Amino acid sequence: MKSCVMGIDFGSTTAKAVILDLGGRMLASQVAHMGAVSGEGVAAAIAGALDAAGLAQADIGRTVATGYGRRMLDIADRNYTEITCHARGAVAMVPQARVVIDIGGQDSKVIAVDAQGLVMQFTMNDRCAAGTGKFFEVLARAMEIELEDMGALALQAQQSLKISSMCATFAETEVISLLAEGRSKADILGGVHAAVATRTVGLVGRVGRKGPIVMTGGVARNPAAVHYIEKALGEALILPEAPQIAGALGAALIGLDDYRREHREELEGDDALEAQMALDKACVPGCRGVPELAPPPATAPRGNAAALWKRIQSHL
Amino acid sequence: MEQAAEIEEIIGSLARIAECPSDYAADWESRTGGKVVGILPMNFPAEIVHAAGALPVIVQEDDAAISYGRSLLHEFYCGYTRSLVDQAATGKLACYDGIFLVDHCVALLGAVDAIRFELPDTPVFLAQFTASMDETTTRPQIAGRIGELRQRLEELCGEPITDDAIHRSIAAYNRNRGLLRRVYEMRRAGRIALSGRQMQALVKSAMVMDVEEHSARMARLLSLLEAQPPAPSAKVKLHLSGHFCHAPRPELFDMIESCDVTVVDDDIYTGYRFISTDVPDHADPVEALTGWYFARNNNVPCSTRAQKTVDWESYLGQALENTGAQGVIVLVPKFCEPHMLYYPELRKEFHRRGIPHLLIETEHEGLALEMLKTRVEALVEVIRRPAVIREPA
Repeated sequence: MKSCVMGIDFGSTTAKAVILDLGGRMLASQVAHMGAVSGEGVAAAIAGALDAAGLAQADIGRTVATGYGRRMLDIADRNYTEITCHARGAVAMVPQARVVIDIGGQDSKVIAVDAQGLVMQFTMNDRCAAGTGKFFEVLARAMEIELEDMGALALQAQQSLKISSMCATFAETEVISLLAEGRSKADILGGVHAAVATRTVGLVGRVGRKGPIVMTGGVARNPAAVHYIEKALGEALILPEAPQIAGALGAALIGLDDYRREHREELEGDDALEAQMALDKACVPGCRGVPELAPPPATAPRGNAAALWKRIQSHL
Repeated sequence: MEQAAEIEEIIGSLARIAECPSDYAADWESRTGGKVVGILPMNFPAEIVHAAGALPVIVQEDDAAISYGRSLLHEFYCGYTRSLVDQAATGKLACYDGIFLVDHCVALLGAVDAIRFELPDTPVFLAQFTASMDETTTRPQIAGRIGELRQRLEELCGEPITDDAIHRSIAAYNRNRGLLRRVYEMRRAGRIALSGRQMQALVKSAMVMDVEEHSARMARLLSLLEAQPPAPSAKVKLHLSGHFCHAPRPELFDMIESCDVTVVDDDIYTGYRFISTDVPDHADPVEALTGWYFARNNNVPCSTRAQKTVDWESYLGQALENTGAQGVIVLVPKFCEPHMLYYPELRKEFHRRGIPHLLIETEHEGLALEMLKTRVEALVEVIRRPAVIREPA
């Protein structure tokens, strides 16, 4: 029997990997930004997580993939949608969450979840990039600012501007017109974030406010996006410490369920943990609402990233 | 020829005809010298056209992008009606000697006006069937409309339509529907593993072909299918619902079935809805066709009909119980008001019964299949997880 499981979120703009031990403790997580569904990016995320945990690929008993590139990963034993994995991961991070907002690179989703992190209902944008990470990317490029700086600048908005078009391409045209009118970048960005917030609240409306709302995905790290969504919702969002890894964590937890079920007899004597996991299936044991990284074992092998990277790439 | 190969060959030939009905119609016309009548969904009694010696062809949505038709019909009409008008504007309806219809919605009426405008020399006749099924006046009204249809078709074809001819046509169509229903029964029972694309080809080709010719191919196909070993599936069983005017794109079926899904039943127009009901026996063939109109809505209710004794959501619940389908995918064409306005009732029923379901809005211009695939896969994951009431939007 192996000692760990891994979840991989092979997203459209970033790749994330999470490693759990068989007790459900998180040993490592890694986020790699490498561009659209990048094989190099996912290899870096996996190798980085393995190195941080001091593990080799051979130590992983079950690998579950999610994200847009999930079907491309031959090293994964199974794959699940981002909807299922984000639900599971978000409730693991924030047990009281009953609604998950996940704004990813290519789509945005709102998921109603139960206490076990299982999907009750979901909705997502399905037509265009409106209200997604890609929408922010396009507009950051139009305004010649760094994506990471958008949020802070948007929070400096003095005037409320309305971006009426939610098509990324038309919104870009609208933004260029506003720049030509001499509007400040901060005000325009405020309008852009408000438009995304309105779109997101529309999705929340379709699912219904079933309870506390948690936000996951890379956009959750954008303070202006959070601010405008909270303003539009009229309530505070709960933000996990590492919102980007929710999908990978969910994938790892699903893998953990499978692996423990498969090796139930070998895990005898761990009744207390079994009982706890059955009771609160979605939670990383001992978590206080956010995942905590355990320090890697002191004796574990290190520095195998390059070799692993090569090996993983050969499987892509 | 090996049986499996012959099955593929028959279905493939029917699919090719379904893809390009105008080619078939032109060939039929040159062979027989008869008139080709284009008919529009949903409740048109094709038997009466057949009895006139003409070929009834249900005009299908065309895959081509809307071009000249844009100037004739606004974007907020459904894809089917926009496609109809575009076909009229681009000469694709030239193969029809007349266009006949009995159903109406705002979009279809707009499309018919545009077709009349674009094809002033083509006879276009609407014999509007009353949609209030419970009114005592409805039945005689429908019989009267069928009588008007009969008269207009006699004028178009230049021959009287006899009662005997209608009776013979009713028998031919009942046989054809029966053959198609047998394939549906086999699919529900897990006896065959035909894909959604193939099932659609069978029904769609029945909508455009000479009925006897279609029945001959269906009879051979059925004999081959009956000889095949059972094909039980361990995949998630789903029911497809909606699309009560035209065919969903076959690639949508392919995508759904690629998500570890087997479609066991449907109530779509180019599916079971079309073949559900035979014309009942009656000495007066017009009365028989009138009875068929009422019986259709009893068997597979439609949200375009107002009838207190039946409803679509109860039908769906019962259909799922009968087939063991584990969930429903509802296919709503964009801007289809009768469907959109009814959907909340369906959703309430799904929720009440704990039926996992997914709403997919389709449109003429195509679908973001990869994103839709994620949604279908999520539905499958929900179905495979422990049972609680879940309701994907």
